[in-house]
Amino acid sequence: MKRGLLRQILLLLGLALLPAIGHAIYYGDRVSWSAPELGKDEVKLEEAQSWGDSVLWVDARPDEQFQKKHIPSAILLNEDRWSELLPAFLNIWSPGKRVVVYCSSRSCAASHEVARRLREEAGLSEVFVLHGGWEKWLEGRK
Amino acid sequence: MSILLRLIIGAVFLYAGGLKAWAPLGFANDIEHFHLLSWTLGMGFAFYLPWLEIICGLALIATRLRIAAVAILTALTAVFLVATILAKLRGINLDCGCFGSASKGWSFGTHLLVDFALLTTLLLIWFRETRVAPVARLSVS
Repeated sequence: MKRGLLRQILLLLGLALLPAIGHAIYYGDRVSWSAPELGKDEVKLEEAQSWGDSVLWVDARPDEQFQKKHIPSAILLNEDRWSELLPAFLNIWSPGKRVVVYCSSRSCAASHEVARRLREEAGLSEVFVLHGGWEKWLEGRK
Repeated sequence: MSILLRLIIGAVFLYAGGLKAWAPLGFANDIEHFHLLSWTLGMGFAFYLPWLEIICGLALIATRLRIAAVAILTALTAVFLVATILAKLRGINLDCGCFGSASKGWSFGTHLLVDFALLTTLLLIWFRETRVAPVARLSVS
C-alpha cells in the first residue's frame, strides 16, 4: 500500500512539472529569476531623503504602531480608517509634494495599497512606496 | 458524501491553482513576503505549485490517484498553514496568500480559518477514502 501510494504521489509531482516548465519557458524573460532591486513604484530611502522638504511621508501602518513611533513629520493614513484620515492628508498635501508611503517592512503590502488608492482615488501622480518600509528607516538611523 | 467533498475541494484547488498560474509573478511576490526562500527558489515554486494544485485538484475529482492527491494537498496546506503562523510570529504582516489576488486583504484570522477548514476537509476525505477498500484503490497504479 505504501509503495503504491508513494508511486502515485511521485507520478502527480512529476505530472505537475511538465506544465510548470512549459509555463516558465513561455514567460521567458518577462520574469526575473534574480531578486528585483526595486518595485516599479518604489523609492530607496536615500533617494527619498534627497528630495528634502518636498517629501510628504505617509505612514500606512495601523494606528497603534504609528502612535509608538513614526518618521518625523509623517502623517497617518491607513486603510483601516481611510475615509476618516484622507481629508487630513489632503489638507496637508500641496501640488509639487512627493508622497512617500511606508509600512512596517519590505514584506507588508499596506503601503502599496495606500499608494495605489492615493493615485486612483485621490488622483495624485507623484506617489511612491518606501523600499524596505519602517525597518529600512530604522536601519538608516543606526 | 465523500464524492461531494472531493468535488468541492478539487474545485477549490483548481480555482486557487488557476488564479496563481495566471499571475506567477504576483505569486512569487507572495512567496517572497514570507521571507523563507530565496527569490530564485520562490520563482521556481511560483511556476510549479499552481500546476501541482491544478493537477491534484483534477486528480481528486476524476481519477484513481485521488488518495495521492489528498496526501499532496494535505501536505501543501499544512506547510502553508505553518508558514503563515511562523510569519505572524516573526511580525511579518501578510495580506496575501493561497488564493492569489482573490485573498488580498484577508486578515490573519481569515487565512487561518480557511486553511484549517481546507486541512480538516482534506483529512476527512483521506480517512474516508482509505477506509473504503484501501488496498484495491492503491494497488491500481
